[in-house]
Amino acid sequence: MDNVIEIKNLTKEFKVLNRHEGIKGSIRDLFSRDYKTVYAVKDVSLNIKQGEIVGYLGPNGAGKSTTIKMMTGVLKPSSGSILVNGRIPYRERTKNSQEIGVVFGQRSQLWWSLPLIESFKLLKEIYGIDSKHYDEMMEFYGTLVDLEPILHKPVRQMSLGQRTLSDILASFLHNPRICFLDEPTIGLDVAMKSNIRTLIHAINEKMNTTVILTTHDMGDVDALCRRIVIIDKGQMLYDNDIDHLRKFFGAYRTLKVRLKGDISENVKEIGAVLSDRDVTVSSDDEWISVLVNEDKCRVLDVLSIIQKDHKVKDMQLQEISTEDVIKKIYTEGV
Amino acid sequence: MIKKYTTLLKAGVMEMLHFRLSVLVLVAGNMLYLAVIYFLWKAIFDSAGTESVNGMTFESTLIYLVLATALFNFMEMYIVWDMGRTIQSGKIVLDLIKPMDYKNYMFWAFSGNVAAQFFTTFLPTFIVVALVTKGAIPLGTNLIAFAVSVILGIVINFNVDFIVGTICLYTESIWGINIMKQVIVLLFSGATIPLAFFPEGLRRVVDLLPFRAIYDAPLTILLSINGITDDVLYTIAIQIVWVIILEILSRGFWKISLRQITVNGG
Repeated sequence: MDNVIEIKNLTKEFKVLNRHEGIKGSIRDLFSRDYKTVYAVKDVSLNIKQGEIVGYLGPNGAGKSTTIKMMTGVLKPSSGSILVNGRIPYRERTKNSQEIGVVFGQRSQLWWSLPLIESFKLLKEIYGIDSKHYDEMMEFYGTLVDLEPILHKPVRQMSLGQRTLSDILASFLHNPRICFLDEPTIGLDVAMKSNIRTLIHAINEKMNTTVILTTHDMGDVDALCRRIVIIDKGQMLYDNDIDHLRKFFGAYRTLKVRLKGDISENVKEIGAVLSDRDVTVSSDDEWISVLVNEDKCRVLDVLSIIQKDHKVKDMQLQEISTEDVIKKIYTEGV
Repeated sequence: MIKKYTTLLKAGVMEMLHFRLSVLVLVAGNMLYLAVIYFLWKAIFDSAGTESVNGMTFESTLIYLVLATALFNFMEMYIVWDMGRTIQSGKIVLDLIKPMDYKNYMFWAFSGNVAAQFFTTFLPTFIVVALVTKGAIPLGTNLIAFAVSVILGIVINFNVDFIVGTICLYTESIWGINIMKQVIVLLFSGATIPLAFFPEGLRRVVDLLPFRAIYDAPLTILLSINGITDDVLYTIAIQIVWVIILEILSRGFWKISLRQITVNGG
């Protein structure tokens, strides 16, 4: 299989003005030449094949969006090279844009006050989609989602979920070879998240579109991605399959409980009763967190042990987050 | 290829008509403004005590200003606002990754507004003025020349807006720049005070600026009694020259500025 994206030693640096405090500082900033260089992306190399769904993860400000902007040709790399579909994106932005689709979860490319169908018609003309393909796509979309309630509704009246769904449909309409989805599930409820995952999966399968997905939701990654790339502070930390990551992390979950009584006492006691169970106990504010590896010990067992001696006021169960994954990579390596 | 543009235009018309209330408010606000103009200039002419001031009678001044206001409401594209907003919010990234030249895209997306505004603001005013003044507006071949001149005026106005909008890339603020632009354009184009009232020196400066070619040129042609004269053709020729100059300037400036964003980030 061919690589649709080839990135080699990609670096992007920004010059940022050193800002000073207060009114005096602000006035000084007007004339200041005091710049510092910030690396948004540093020496990233990456090859992505046709049809892959790649999870591109990292905390806020890690450089994910900057990388995507460089792949779309909106930003020019400071050094290193990018080839998207064999083209240098920033040199041939218009041609490149014909073969890519982009969704930014917090922005919409749809015409705000018009019904969705009008946006689709506009995109059909702008991208020069031929009528046959357009009709096929609409028919295909019809099998995936219930278009009826959204097609004739003005975009500004849509719920966030409907809008995101519409944006994703719009970005695949011209059959791009690559689609960049930047946090598509942000702010959505569980049911809508699952709808959107199903949709992305189905389109990827049928059209063999390469999908680059950035997200903070490990659920998205679990449901969609075979391969994961993690970056932090502009540098690549991890690039491998998800299975490898899972094996390494095991099936970690965090159980959080709030108990009656003095917290530091409780932490000590729980630490003691669970000491033979290979779990990590920590606390913040009034919550006590127990990091459990489900391969070795079940969460419910831990909970019942805690419940024996303590009254549980409240509890939460959390999946391991990308932030935790990164923290663990830093402390333990891959 | 052309369908791309007409579809954008159609969407613009629909978008405009979608906001029915705002069209009504615009018409009402206009009426208020016209009333202010009426009383202001009535006071000016009354205090002058003569029939005509600077070669214009009260009636001809009023016709000029009413039509200038109608023209302004019809030709204004609000490009600066939109560019400024998309730049500030970062939404411009989405426009840049469309397989279409950004400037063409903006022009055609907003020409729909202009087309809608023609029917909602200019045409009614024009009909009312023509009926009330009974023949002050000549209805002959000058209308054809007027149509050509208006289209050129729209293109010039768009180019000025586009250049000012591009400045927003650097300043990241819109309000002040837009207000300044609006005042300069309205004043020097003759839309607030007829150019005949300008002092000699200032008028010579105005002749060197492109703003005259936006509102004053089509308006003078519309009100010229003798149909298509050499003067009319000369005015249109000047407009064409401005279209060419501003096209080159705005494209060049945009290209350089775009390089700026792709290097420094938006």
